[in-house]
Amino acid sequence: MIEFKNVSKVYPGDIKAIDDVSITVEHGEFVVLLGPSGCGKTTLLRMVNQLEELTEGEIAVEGNNIQELNKFEMRRNIGYVIQSNGLFPNMTIEDNVMVVPSMLGWTKEEKAERFAYLMNLIGMPPEQYGESFPHELSGGQQQRIGVARALAADPPVMLMDEPFGALDPIIRSRIQEEFLEIQRSLKKTILFVSHDIDEAIKLADKIVLLKDGKVQQFDKPAELLNQPANEFVAEFVGEDSVLKSLSLYTVKDLLEGAPPTEGAAPDASDAIFEETASLRSVLSALLTPSQKNVWLKNNEGRIFGPVSAAQIESFVHRMTVTA
Amino acid sequence: MNSKAVIAWVVKIAFWALIVLFFWWTISNNMFSQLLENPDQFFGLLGRHLQIVLISSTLALLTAVPAGILLTRPKYRKYEWLLVNTANLGQTIPSIAILALAMGFLGIGIQAAILALYVYSLLPILQNTIAGLKSVNPSAKDAALGMGMTPKQILWKIELPMAASSMIAGIRTAIVLNIGTTALAYLIGGGGLGVWIFTGIQLFDNTYLISGAVPVTLLAVSVDQLFRLLQFFLVPKGIRLAQKAAIQSA
Repeated sequence: MIEFKNVSKVYPGDIKAIDDVSITVEHGEFVVLLGPSGCGKTTLLRMVNQLEELTEGEIAVEGNNIQELNKFEMRRNIGYVIQSNGLFPNMTIEDNVMVVPSMLGWTKEEKAERFAYLMNLIGMPPEQYGESFPHELSGGQQQRIGVARALAADPPVMLMDEPFGALDPIIRSRIQEEFLEIQRSLKKTILFVSHDIDEAIKLADKIVLLKDGKVQQFDKPAELLNQPANEFVAEFVGEDSVLKSLSLYTVKDLLEGAPPTEGAAPDASDAIFEETASLRSVLSALLTPSQKNVWLKNNEGRIFGPVSAAQIESFVHRMTVTA
Repeated sequence: MNSKAVIAWVVKIAFWALIVLFFWWTISNNMFSQLLENPDQFFGLLGRHLQIVLISSTLALLTAVPAGILLTRPKYRKYEWLLVNTANLGQTIPSIAILALAMGFLGIGIQAAILALYVYSLLPILQNTIAGLKSVNPSAKDAALGMGMTPKQILWKIELPMAASSMIAGIRTAIVLNIGTTALAYLIGGGGLGVWIFTGIQLFDNTYLISGAVPVTLLAVSVDQLFRLLQFFLVPKGIRLAQKAAIQSA
């Protein structure tokens, strides 16, 4: 758990980087700090592990006021991932991942076991990569190692500063999904900086939208999209906020509401979407001129459809009202 | 084989042919006679030469490396220009002038030579230490700090290993230059192999000249090779491989 209580940061010259922020990140919650450049999101993140000092207020991690803790020891209990991965080129991948456990005095066996576990978690065989060096890996692999390194000592809290920002869109999207999968099983408390609203919607349980160091809205992604608190939020989420909110819902949600009629076996040229597919991709297929019919398939293999854009429209309306 | 490689081979062969020719010429004209006839005197001069090199460069190493580390710490960064410029002065003044100035302070003898060569060796070491430490990727340092490393741990585990290549290159340059410049120590009564070189020049006597100059050259070349070997062992494997990969992809 991370608690910010009336946190402010003032730079010399009376420049307010962070202005009276009070938010709480609950246990196991994935919170994304979102906002334009210079809004203070990175500063706010770096205040948690005291890479930036706070001017006013209080930050508590797992119930302990950070200012009462030893800076170096508290950092070892917080996972930290940055955009340019920050791997150490002079160390092997295994040594890189085991930096914090080494500082904490783990034995060789404990470290070897943990390393194997983490590498399997991120889908990189330990025996294949353990002795490699960072420069031998691709950008995506380096970033996965960055995540594994942050998880090394099993910290309850993770701070992530645009960890996937430097990756190309295809790799980024794949790593986001892998990471969500990992998070679903590990349930870490995560504070994650992003400037990309699509990334925030995809990953976050809750989003903090910042501007000029002030919190504009702290809400679930659906609420942020459907009920923006002010003009800035509305502008930031954009005119296509409805489209964006579609990526929050899956075929399963649609089938649970008012499903289309169960249908016959579709043509070979028709598209079939599984339960886990997002409604955004379904709508996108519907709007594609060359696409004939779009069908939905549930977990039992039953096929529904053909679905129409109007059905998705009415689903969105229902969701916006109940949200 | 492309034309570049051919040219490289031709140059290499020509170079070695010149060396063989040179030694054939010197040996057939009995130019190493001083060395062969007065081995005791030779080893005396060589010992003195090494003594000057060793003491002056060790002192330079012990001053410039810590100074370079200190000047890259946030607290002392503002003094960098001052020290680097001072060291620069030591390097821009002609070596012979430094020797003369040192003699002004310490009189004739080995102390003056050691002082002059010490000053002369500072800059390459200082500059390369600073350059090496500055080249360390800031995001690596940020990550290290964020993971709870202390500044001391960051210096020893991250910064120094990553700067090692540049630092050793600086030390190598300083010592190789030092070996050659020590030949001038004779001029202020410092001794060393310069004694034979300058005697040879003054007497137009090739036996003195070659018996002094060839060992100095060989000494410089072998120390240079020794440091290349040292570099291989002291620079972490990951950095070495990364540098190699960077060169190949360029």
